[in-house]
Amino acid sequence: MLVTYAPMFLMLFVAAAVSGLFFLGASTLGTKNPTPEKMTPYECGSESSGGNHLKLSVKFYLTAILFVVFDIEAVFIYPWAIRFRQLGWLGLEEMFGFLAVVVVALIYVWRKGALEWES
Amino acid sequence: MSLIFALSPLIVVTVGALLLMLAEAFSKNKEGLAVGSTMVLTAGGAFAGAVWMKGFEGADVESLAPWLIIDRFSLFFFMLLCLGGALATLLAGGYLPEHRLDRGEFYSLLLFTTLGAMILSAAGDLLTVFLGLETMSLGAYCMTAFRRASVRSAEGALKYFLLGSFAAAIMLYGFALLYGITGTTSLVGISKAMRAGASHGPGAIFALILVLVGLIFKVSGVPFHMWTPDAYEGAPTPATTYMSVAVKSGGFAMMLRVLITAFGDPQSMSWGSGWPPALALVAVLTMTVANLTAGQQESVKRMLAYSSIAHAGYLLVGVVAIMRAHEQATASVLFYLLTYTVSTAGAFGALILCGRRGAEAVSLEDLAGIGKRHPAAALPFALFLLSLAGVPPTAGFFGKWFIFRAAMDSGFYWLTIIAFINSVIGAYYYLRVLVFMYMREPAAGAPVATPMRSGYVSTALLVSAVLVLALGLCPSTSLDVAVQAATGLGG
Repeated sequence: MLVTYAPMFLMLFVAAAVSGLFFLGASTLGTKNPTPEKMTPYECGSESSGGNHLKLSVKFYLTAILFVVFDIEAVFIYPWAIRFRQLGWLGLEEMFGFLAVVVVALIYVWRKGALEWES
Repeated sequence: MSLIFALSPLIVVTVGALLLMLAEAFSKNKEGLAVGSTMVLTAGGAFAGAVWMKGFEGADVESLAPWLIIDRFSLFFFMLLCLGGALATLLAGGYLPEHRLDRGEFYSLLLFTTLGAMILSAAGDLLTVFLGLETMSLGAYCMTAFRRASVRSAEGALKYFLLGSFAAAIMLYGFALLYGITGTTSLVGISKAMRAGASHGPGAIFALILVLVGLIFKVSGVPFHMWTPDAYEGAPTPATTYMSVAVKSGGFAMMLRVLITAFGDPQSMSWGSGWPPALALVAVLTMTVANLTAGQQESVKRMLAYSSIAHAGYLLVGVVAIMRAHEQATASVLFYLLTYTVSTAGAFGALILCGRRGAEAVSLEDLAGIGKRHPAAALPFALFLLSLAGVPPTAGFFGKWFIFRAAMDSGFYWLTIIAFINSVIGAYYYLRVLVFMYMREPAAGAPVATPMRSGYVSTALLVSAVLVLALGLCPSTSLDVAVQAATGLGG
């Protein structure tokens, strides 16, 4: 049974070998000329502005959680839309039930002011 | 139509919770939320009762299998969970405004948590088991942390959350192994594969151990009980009530369903190579450790938390006895859960009633002499403590009686004796509270607890007291219901 997976393991091995070879080659063959500028963490090309261990506003977490909720919604809707005809009326009812739940959640966060950034 | 009828308890609670959430978002009036939430849960329980009475034979409930299993077992738990949830809601209706915690999301959290527990009790597939478990747990974590300004509340919630996540993850490993061994996630399918010989491999034992860790954690059995006292003490008292009543019942529903259905084959259910000896050891440890620790507590709330661990131990004795006396032992566990629900909800409710804003009754000293000053608050407290101790003619007596008899009938004499000794130890710390209430006077200069006035709390106490006495005086009807519920659950 394991033989069925042999190509996969071969592929894994080749990928590991090739990428390992590239890293090894770059670190042994490449010339190194470090300057302080080069050693700073790369932040999209702009000047870095301090350490990464700082307190973030809780608003970011709220936004992230809301994003996950509605992202999951999209994940569910997509396969449903592909199979819309086969699923028929039952599928439509189920999806409307699901959407109703998510819409209630949306109304709730909107009323509670979670969507307002400035406050 | 009939399928919708069979699912009506779940639908009622879902729709009710969503509507209540909207009502809370649009209305400034928080008064009605407790009533609304209680009504939703009562309706959920009533619908479950209606489905029970009318039967669901023609309802095509098989089409839901294995995801949701609507049988008398799950209907029993629907009613039990709705009862426990409704009592906790009533307590919250009095407690939250009194202690200035009156934020409406408590009720939505409670309703959704109840929904999760209901799904858990009806789950017939590892995936729905996990879905129900997480829906139940996430709400419980939030309710523990509900007292936002309190450090103890945050500490308890964080401990509960971290350990709960670990336990859930360990159980998921077990589920993954089970799926790998049997090739299915349905509990019935796993049982079939186990009977066909999959239970003999080392993988099956390992999966069983991992799943047991998660199951024992949720019902707070020793050695996975460490979170319980902190979480129960830190949480606002209605949340504590809810956790010790409904979340624990949900945990036992999951334990019974998973152990009996998936691990019900002769190999996994044997004394030589299955879960009963492990669970028997956990039961003995749970009872002994919890009872010995509970006697040393100065805080009544923490004492009740340890007492709830000890009761999980008695229940585990019943679960072990299922090995030899399937229906009788399962029924005794279900009946015990019912008596435990009404007694515990009542005891926490009485504790709430004895305190006021800024002067919550917590320690034994707070309760000193309250029996003479405020007999109306002390009398129900005494009744519920006696029921927890198992004194006739209260509900707790028959709960213990049936569990012990099931254990005796299946030949576990030593286990019964240990459980009996433990319930004698348990009586000590319950009676200690009575001694403080009726025979001590508060120390000079100590803050004197004065009871609050709340129609909600009084109603919850009245309902629990009536049920405690009714179950204690004529247990046969509810025992009959428990037996019917147990019969539906097969391997």
